[in-house]
Amino acid sequence: MTLPIQDPSLAAEGLGVPPRRAGFLLSVLRERKAAVIGLAIIAFFVLLALIAPLISPYSATAQTCKVYAPPSASHWLGCDDGGIDMLSELMQGGRTSLVVGFAATVVAIVIGGGVGIVSGYFSGWADTALMRVTDYLLVIPDLVFALVIADIWGPSLFHVIIVIGILEWASTARIIRAQVMSLKERVYIKRAKAIGAGHTRIITRHILPQVGPLLMANTVLTVAIAIYLETALAFLGLEDPTVTTWGTILEHAFERTAISSGAWWAIVPDGFVIAIVIVGCFLLGQAIEDALNPRLKAAHLSVRRWRIRPLAGRGPDAI
Amino acid sequence: MRGADYVIKRGFFALVTIFVAITINFFLFRVLPGNAVTDLSRVPHASPALRHALLTEFGLDKPKWEQYLIYLNNLAHGNMGISFANQQPVSHLLLADLKNTIPMVTLGTVAAIVLGVFTGVLSAWRRGSARDHVSTNLAISAYAFPTQWLGLMLLILFAGTLPAGGMSDPFLFTAEPFWQHLADVGKHMILPAVTLMLTTYGSFTLVTRSSMLETLGEDYILTARAKGLPARRIVWRHAVRNALLPVVTLIALELGFIVGGAVLVEVIFSWPGIGLAMYSAIGQRDYPMLQGGFLILTVSVILLNFLADLFYFRLDPRITA
Amino acid sequence: MKTHFGAWARALLAATATVTVVAACGGGSGGGSQGSSTVKEGGVFRMGTSSTIDSLNPFIAFQSDAYTTFEYIYPTLVQYTPALKVVPNFARSWKTSPDGRTWTFSLVPNARWSDGKPLTAADAAWTFTTIQKFADGATANSAGYVAHMKSATAPNATTLVLSYSQPVANVLSQVQQVPIMPQHIWAQYATGNGKALKTFQNNAPIVSGGPFILTKYTPKQVALFKKNPTFYGPKPHIDGFGLQFFQTTDAEITALKSGQLDGVEVPVAPTSVATLKNAHFMVRSSPGDSFDDFIINSAPDQQASHKELLNPLLRQAFDHAIDRTTIVSTSLLGHGQPGSTIIPPATGAWSDPSIKPTQFSLDTAGQLLDQAGYKMGPNNLRIANGHPMSYTVIMPSDLAGEYGNRSFQIIQSDFKKIGVQLNLKVLDPSAAYDALTANNYRNFEISMWDWYPLTDPDFMLSVLTCNSFDVWNDTGYCDKAYDKLYSDQSAAIQPSQRQQVVYQMQQMIAAAKPYLVIDYPDAIEAQSSKWSPLPEVGGGGFNSMSIIPMSTVHQL
Repeated sequence: MTLPIQDPSLAAEGLGVPPRRAGFLLSVLRERKAAVIGLAIIAFFVLLALIAPLISPYSATAQTCKVYAPPSASHWLGCDDGGIDMLSELMQGGRTSLVVGFAATVVAIVIGGGVGIVSGYFSGWADTALMRVTDYLLVIPDLVFALVIADIWGPSLFHVIIVIGILEWASTARIIRAQVMSLKERVYIKRAKAIGAGHTRIITRHILPQVGPLLMANTVLTVAIAIYLETALAFLGLEDPTVTTWGTILEHAFERTAISSGAWWAIVPDGFVIAIVIVGCFLLGQAIEDALNPRLKAAHLSVRRWRIRPLAGRGPDAI
Repeated sequence: MRGADYVIKRGFFALVTIFVAITINFFLFRVLPGNAVTDLSRVPHASPALRHALLTEFGLDKPKWEQYLIYLNNLAHGNMGISFANQQPVSHLLLADLKNTIPMVTLGTVAAIVLGVFTGVLSAWRRGSARDHVSTNLAISAYAFPTQWLGLMLLILFAGTLPAGGMSDPFLFTAEPFWQHLADVGKHMILPAVTLMLTTYGSFTLVTRSSMLETLGEDYILTARAKGLPARRIVWRHAVRNALLPVVTLIALELGFIVGGAVLVEVIFSWPGIGLAMYSAIGQRDYPMLQGGFLILTVSVILLNFLADLFYFRLDPRITA
Repeated sequence: MKTHFGAWARALLAATATVTVVAACGGGSGGGSQGSSTVKEGGVFRMGTSSTIDSLNPFIAFQSDAYTTFEYIYPTLVQYTPALKVVPNFARSWKTSPDGRTWTFSLVPNARWSDGKPLTAADAAWTFTTIQKFADGATANSAGYVAHMKSATAPNATTLVLSYSQPVANVLSQVQQVPIMPQHIWAQYATGNGKALKTFQNNAPIVSGGPFILTKYTPKQVALFKKNPTFYGPKPHIDGFGLQFFQTTDAEITALKSGQLDGVEVPVAPTSVATLKNAHFMVRSSPGDSFDDFIINSAPDQQASHKELLNPLLRQAFDHAIDRTTIVSTSLLGHGQPGSTIIPPATGAWSDPSIKPTQFSLDTAGQLLDQAGYKMGPNNLRIANGHPMSYTVIMPSDLAGEYGNRSFQIIQSDFKKIGVQLNLKVLDPSAAYDALTANNYRNFEISMWDWYPLTDPDFMLSVLTCNSFDVWNDTGYCDKAYDKLYSDQSAAIQPSQRQQVVYQMQQMIAAAKPYLVIDYPDAIEAQSSKWSPLPEVGGGGFNSMSIIPMSTVHQL
């Protein structure tokens, strides 16, 4: 699922010069309500994940009620097929899901950012080679590829994190690369080069700070995608079934006859929390992006993935 | 960039990516721990010789590079191998599966496009209003709910009234008359297609909306308004036409991924398509089916992207500058 | 999804070679008693399954539903009753020579295939001979059926003679599983090395000889069976039945509840039992012939890092630390029995009743470990041979996904109390098996898996033989004395004599404890109350053990 950037020429030219990072985020929050909502949602769930063991009403692994007990005063969200309190399970699941989401995102951003910067800055054959690789990754069907890799490596949380990271770095790389390439042409970079500043220095002092906000937007949106992909992979049985995540909760409900038993409470709340977190990430990420370039407000980045069309760019940027 | 240049370049790119896809496909599956033969040969009444016989039969005892060359050669002849699970030609099986998947996916996608464009246009038109907010947020939310969750919800709500699985009423000894059969399949197709629609339409809404917003800000729209044309006509006759360019390319891109995303829907509704086939093949370690299915899906995405490139190229004159 | 391993083995639930072989040498149809209630003729029984038919070729097929299909469309010599007695099917009677090496079957005369051609002993002889001929190649998956067979001949149209090179105790349970195939259709493929036998697709409509004809088969969707007018036995009441394939049991149950199906196959998840009963469906939960096990590496040359696992005191301790009652009530929701011997009691007389489930007692377990010299160390873990008692438990993903995880959690927390740490490692089934057999069984420590033993004890007993290394053995257990007993029982044609040896073997295993049998899950089925209850044969109303269920079921 993709949403192309509205005007490909914009991507090539690069985005407007953003202000310094810390002040930037605050100004975004100040100006856009959506960003505040998004950040609040994310913060809420992160906090919940952190204190879950303390406020969980019951154990998330031991049986505390009857199988598929409906919601009641003592168990607000009822119980699952093992007689485990749903609410506690959702809290526990949230911890793991968020960890997976963040971890996978870190992998994707580190690789993607790194590749994007190297590619955009150094150009030449390194650029061409890396872009070939990203082209392939961008084109193959996400879920099917993840299905295969996760199956090869076996059902485990660690593998799921790596798989999602591998799938998502390519789009980040593309976006960062485009901006780096345009930054490279800026006057102050050229001046720095003329003075004789080394590559590392230029990258760390000049390029990274400018790329920062875009990376931030990317990060937030990747978290949303990572959480989404995790639920899909878990649903297809490619995750360790002994671990509780929002994805495995849904998978267990499906496999263990929740629907035919009428136990809607094993399904409905889970979907809602996933959707809320993803929407939160989306709101925040999009708000940052909008702020980066008002003209880019038309280019809503997908909650699932986004890419710069290979078409993006004219002249030497075109592949 | 000159036109012909561009087409050739994109075409060449597509071909190379297809070849890379084929190669990586092959090696990816050979890295699997445990192998298909382990399962098949552990049959209580088999002789220990069975395992060896199966290995030889499937060519798994040859060195990898030799298997690879054989694979390439077969592929060139349209032979995708024999399924480990039931000894039938993979191409036949996948073709039959594809024939089941395509109608369902097409229905869902078309519905998603129609719904998405419609809601996007209305949102842009009434920008800032309550309708806009509700519509846009609804689109985002539907997008954010996991596909499988939407499917399960529909199952819960409609299990009694609509068929809960399968592609048609199975227990018919004599073939149905054509139209009745069509109606039967259609009834079974509703839930999976609606799931696909709900999970996909959000992206179309957002893109249409933003594209419309841009278009509506253009000068010629202002001129039309000044001339006194009714708003409705402006929106539908003029603005939409121009705003649809990104939507068109989005459609082409979405089609590629929707085929992959249909896996979830097919699993939930037992829809006998290519997604379900891949899902089953993985558990059975049916290498040829996996390779074939993966290849078909990847190649179709690559080709559709190529088409999208061409289409975009034709429609957007800025590219040719 | 089920593993092929489990599903296939389940398909081949063969009953015990009856203790009363002599009594079975009578005539009589294989049917159970007909209900005296109103028998409405006609109708189509719609069955749901979460398994599949992988192939209609008996030399390729692997899944249980394929075997059930063959059972209903191809004649078998004998079949089972719900009481697990061996009774006639295509063979009306049989006798054994005094030395036990020759079996003569007297077949139903004037039988026909559905295309009108004669169905005779020649077809039977051809089937057995062909399996034998290509047992190392094309027909390898059926090779076990003809073990020790010298020849299969048909002196006349209604007589089949099977000759063996040595007395074989379980001939009846082996031939029960062989579908007799139409020679006039298949013979053309049995040329050369027989490879063509495996490529013949045998598409529907199939020339059938059993009570039903497979008229239509759409892979992953449905298989339709029509009543066979030329069937040599008692005609079914129904016009036909259908088998619809579902991805999950949830989808099946939903279809059953909404009236799209008339019955669903084993297994029905315990969690569905309550809702189905409330909706007035007939739910049957019968003692199952499968068991869940806790495997302790028994390879004598296993890695030094866990060699203490061979200590009998350790094994006894572990046995006492498994809370079988809680596991049955939590994992199986009460639908099961605590486990004891490796031949499940539900399979009949071959199960040794003197072997009882071990008492759950953490105190006893602790004492035994103390006795073994494994003292408590830091972190509340005992030390054995200089290292903490911490072990990896390998579990296949399909078991973990069902209830294996819950059982493990119970065991894990109990073991913690006696100072032993267990860590779960979930792998997909073939990777799990590879992990067990790695380095000639030296590497693994513990595993939790399950077995669906064939009802004749021969198969389950063979699993623990040395010959079964890298085939079925998942324990590393290899004992010459045990192997000797195994070959004794396989040649003991006197049932009482065989039973003695089989009991002895069970006791040997119960003492050596390569397996700790945790429980015997019930077999649960459900069907609509508008039909007569499907007779249950060996744990299910629809399997490859008998044609009685579909032949006798009727609308009410």
